[in-house]
Amino acid sequence: MKRTVIPFGPQHPVLPEPIVLDLILEDERVVDAVPTIGYIHRGLEMMVERVEYTEMGFVVERICGICSFMHGMGYCVSLESIMKIEVPERAQWLRLIWAEISRIQSHLLWLGLGADAFGFENLFMHCWRMREEILDIFEKTTGGRVIHSVNRIGGVKRDISDAELAAILVRLEELGQEFKKTASVFSTDPSIAHRLGGVGVLSAEEALATATVGPMARASGIATDTRLGGANLYNQIEFQPITETAGDCLARVVVRLREVDQSIDMIRQAIDKMPKGEGQALENKPRGNPVGETFTRLEQPRGEVVYYVKANGTKYLERFRARTPTFANIPAMIQLVKGCELADVPNIILTIDPCISCTER
Amino acid sequence: MDRTAFLARIEEYHKGGWRLALINATSAMSTEEQPRGSFDVVWAFARGTDFEYLREQVMPDDEVPSISASFAAAFLYENEMRELFGINVTGLNVDLGGQLYKTSQKVPFSPSAIRARLEANAAAGIASASTTPPAAPHAAPAPATAPAAGKPA
Repeated sequence: MKRTVIPFGPQHPVLPEPIVLDLILEDERVVDAVPTIGYIHRGLEMMVERVEYTEMGFVVERICGICSFMHGMGYCVSLESIMKIEVPERAQWLRLIWAEISRIQSHLLWLGLGADAFGFENLFMHCWRMREEILDIFEKTTGGRVIHSVNRIGGVKRDISDAELAAILVRLEELGQEFKKTASVFSTDPSIAHRLGGVGVLSAEEALATATVGPMARASGIATDTRLGGANLYNQIEFQPITETAGDCLARVVVRLREVDQSIDMIRQAIDKMPKGEGQALENKPRGNPVGETFTRLEQPRGEVVYYVKANGTKYLERFRARTPTFANIPAMIQLVKGCELADVPNIILTIDPCISCTER
Repeated sequence: MDRTAFLARIEEYHKGGWRLALINATSAMSTEEQPRGSFDVVWAFARGTDFEYLREQVMPDDEVPSISASFAAAFLYENEMRELFGINVTGLNVDLGGQLYKTSQKVPFSPSAIRARLEANAAAGIASASTTPPAAPHAAPAPATAPAAGKPA
């Protein structure tokens, strides 16, 4: 059969960021896909050559506007590990709370984009309206809606008062109730089930073979979650990774729907357990220059991120590297696209929740 | 590097149910013994909450065998090592032919490219890292013949 090559991207209605897949088709079926990324490669890792390690965190959180808090946190945790800095407990709880708020806003953003991709504009607007309220919480507590700059090596820059934490919890629980109605549309609407059910199925074996991470792996039944390691106070939070077994586009939606509720629950637990009272220490400042290397793993909204930091005793790091979850999920995405119908490609690509800025750094 | 021993070790990770978490290269600046610099390459694997890695020192002319026969997802990291560092990775299951990243400079993370940038910065009076960073104990790479395994601190 004659083969046709169709470039998917770099500009496409479902792609908020540029990526190209050269789709090789036989009739309407995709038989191969060749990715080209790099359109927004900024060489941020190279900036360690001329940005001092105390300032590099501000560069790192600009890797991506959706995961900015987690990138900043991952960088600081890495340096704290190398420099053996003990982070004050309240600062660790605040980081956990912000990290879970970050997960909620990321999932709401993605759910909106997903709804838009399969033609449900109304759902898109509901998701993004709720996300705006999460961004309001970020703005009120950190001063920034997208770039927060609240992480410091050794702690955090700002406190959240106990009264403010209580108010945030009330608002999140109200949003959680509101979100249940939106979530029920995603999980019960027959047109969505028809569009996403059974599409882009990734089995648990395939997910392992392609080194898939995050909600994408959990939707295939793999209970992987870096938070289970217990670092950054997650050992004091009761939770189990949310998994689905179908491995299709719909399962990937459902995992993220359920993770929004789970994150609200984690924030509730954190506010209950954190030491009360303002005026507590928030930061132990670093002294001297770091020497050593470390790998740091965090569970970002899209899955496991790995930071590699190598320091040589000068004020400039020798190497900083972020392996982001989207980078890890690209092989699975390519595998899923092979064999599918052309019309399903947008939904398959979108359900890995691709973040190209993160991928290319 | 001992190609056979290295690939055997990689296959052990594969059979042990480990997931490829990361392949990372770091350029080591040129020294008197290694005038063209070298690369410190780490292959990291995760299984549940466990995390281990292999480390090799790679010379500019060395061939690094692809591990994509054991870990199919390695191709992205390996193409990245080729394009950004100029490491000669052979036997890739998916060779993107230098099309993974669109960089204005060829192999921007190679030791020579880094040295050229740092020297240009110094000449222009721009503060940046030194071309001769102080030696640190961790900077000594593992022997090329015996892959070093370890767990992060």
